[in-house]
Amino acid sequence: MFSIPSSLGMLHSQSVQLLCLTASSGVPLFCRGSTKQLPFSIIGSLNGVHMFGTGHDAALSCCETERGGRVLWRVFHDSLMLIGISSNADVSELHLRRLLENAWNCMVLVLGLDELANTRNVERLKRELRSCYRLIDMLLERGMDDRDGDRGLMGDLTHCADCILFPQADLLQETLDAFTRAAESEFGCLLVRGRLAVATEKWWRLAPQELVLLSALANLPPGKTSCDCPVFLPQGSPNVALRLLCFQLLPGAIACVLCGPRPSLYHVENEQVCRFWSPVVENLRSCLDQAKRSALSPSVGLRRDVLALLLINRESRRSVESLGHACSKATPLLSPARRWELLRLFYTFAATRYFSSEESPSSERPTAELLHEEFSAGFTHLPVHCYLVTDECKCYAVQTPQHQLFLLTDLSVPTFALRSVATHTLDAVTTATGF
Amino acid sequence: MAYIAAGSIMVSDWHRSPESREFFSKILHNKKRRKFGLLEAPVMPPHLKADIVRYKVFLSGKSGVGKTALAARLAGLDMPKIHYETTGMETCGVFWPVKLRESGRMLFFHFQLWDCGESAMRRFDHMLPSCKEHVDAILFLFSFTDRGSFEDLSNQMSRITEPSDRLVRLVVGTKFDLFMHTDVTESDITRFEEVWGVPVFRVGGDVSGGFGEISLLLNALAENLWHQDCMHASTSVPSYPGHIGPEIIV
Ligand SMILES: Nc1nc2c(ncn2[C@@H]2O[C@H](COP(=O)(O)OP(=O)(O)OP(=O)(O)O)[C@@H](O)[C@H]2O)c(=O)[nH]1
Ligand SMILES: [Mg+2]
Repeated sequence: MFSIPSSLGMLHSQSVQLLCLTASSGVPLFCRGSTKQLPFSIIGSLNGVHMFGTGHDAALSCCETERGGRVLWRVFHDSLMLIGISSNADVSELHLRRLLENAWNCMVLVLGLDELANTRNVERLKRELRSCYRLIDMLLERGMDDRDGDRGLMGDLTHCADCILFPQADLLQETLDAFTRAAESEFGCLLVRGRLAVATEKWWRLAPQELVLLSALANLPPGKTSCDCPVFLPQGSPNVALRLLCFQLLPGAIACVLCGPRPSLYHVENEQVCRFWSPVVENLRSCLDQAKRSALSPSVGLRRDVLALLLINRESRRSVESLGHACSKATPLLSPARRWELLRLFYTFAATRYFSSEESPSSERPTAELLHEEFSAGFTHLPVHCYLVTDECKCYAVQTPQHQLFLLTDLSVPTFALRSVATHTLDAVTTATGF
Repeated sequence: MAYIAAGSIMVSDWHRSPESREFFSKILHNKKRRKFGLLEAPVMPPHLKADIVRYKVFLSGKSGVGKTALAARLAGLDMPKIHYETTGMETCGVFWPVKLRESGRMLFFHFQLWDCGESAMRRFDHMLPSCKEHVDAILFLFSFTDRGSFEDLSNQMSRITEPSDRLVRLVVGTKFDLFMHTDVTESDITRFEEVWGVPVFRVGGDVSGGFGEISLLLNALAENLWHQDCMHASTSVPSYPGHIGPEIIV
């Protein structure tokens, strides 16, 4: 292990930087994340140490500094190298690793694999990559921004599709299925405040990482009424572009379909949208209303001392996140933004230290990273519960074959009771929602 | 088609008249522009019932010239602070109340603005035809800070339209607020207007949210579209101007 303290000192405390270079020659292609550009010499050394490793048959994947800085390298398709740099100990290795994967997937999504993997003209590629900046910057801001719209979305970190559960989703499901067919597609979904409310069977079969990026791309800001974006699916269709059509039915409720060359945006918007969705406009309105409060159906009664929770269905790779009511006086009042932040941190803590088997085998991961887990390396069993007490809240995670629950509670909950609070909450939520 | 002088069909500056207040209040929410979903439209009380006439407007121009910014300005959305290339086509809607001068009739125009990123248009062949499908008007954009974009205008206009197209064509010069760096002079503009018979509008600067800064352009668009439809109706099958959309409840 070695350190590069001088370069990391140049970053803002909260910031993460992302560099992209050609893998073979180290030509810088872009740099996102911080307002201050890293000097060329540092970019050169970051590339240099990685190349030095490669020359000696060693893959350099990660390094940490004493002051909590971290650098992660990853080469994709032998063509491009992404380097993630953070100067803040709160930014975990998992976060950086996901960032590199997501950024790469963004680039494939917008430009297609062929353009990236078989670079013929570096200057051209540099120019083309500019069209990925919006999505990449959006990901860089996740979990550290205070924009309202993104609150509590965690799919970029969990690689599970962020969902929202409604008690009577059947009618919306039927409407979506019919709308999708009318748009000559089998892939359709309805997003409510950035989360998947209902989707067609085929849509659910897309890779979770794709679902996360498609949801981010489709999440039009209020006021934009529709879009037609060419997309390559990193796993499903990396070399043939499809069209993602999105329609803002009501502010915050967006219907999407993935299509081939037909039908045109104009046609769907003017012929299908009102025909299919007007009859359910009241349902949409009440969904939006509920979504303001929670991603869980109102039928789920959470204990008053629950601050926030993340529930993952391990099989379907879907997740729901919700804040609790939290009206107890025992804890220092935690803002919603802080609770979401703590939930992300606790997820990272539990998922990397204890539930590390959760890493889906499909995401190619260098074995070096598997050895990183100091705790689990010493044990032959897999932990199924873990907890953490901080001066802001208490945290508890449960893992069953089907689910993972990450729960934040008020400090007033006695530590010995956490386990039963968590298992009861898991039961209550899964029974009420069938999630 | 000849360009219609401001105020010849519609009451200019109607947004300043007390009579219009109730109409404009329907497109406001908390002092900002109200954001409508596709299933929504302003609804007036029965005694002020106003039809909605719908038009598709395409924004054309080089990358970075300010298409996305202009769409946001007209629709009252947050303006992009930095330039992110638009990766496909995006639309947004603008409801705009007007009063016809002769009949005194009041209407809501609905402009569906189509904004397509230039790099996306270059890479994908279906974009331009899709933007032009059923289009009623095209705004050709150039930037006052980029002389190249101004010189390319005539090229652009003849490349993507035919003289026979039934289309309202207007030209918009963006970044007029950066006049210190301007590359395009007043006499350039005057000459262009004479040669092409197309008016040039100037936009730029911060948005205060008031209607004054967008009314000139929106009214011109409305008047010319209305006029185009009336001319067409008088020479062919009688039809109602605009596309009256389905009745939608808010
Ligand atoms: N000062 C000033 N800046 C402007 C104006 N219009 C646009 N800009 C800036 O110019 C940059 C590019 O504007 P966009 O609207 O994103 O450009 P575009 O035409 O949509 O570009 P593509 O999507 O790549 O085709 C942004 O940083 C805007 O903030 C203006 O009227 N005044
Ligand atoms: Mg744009």
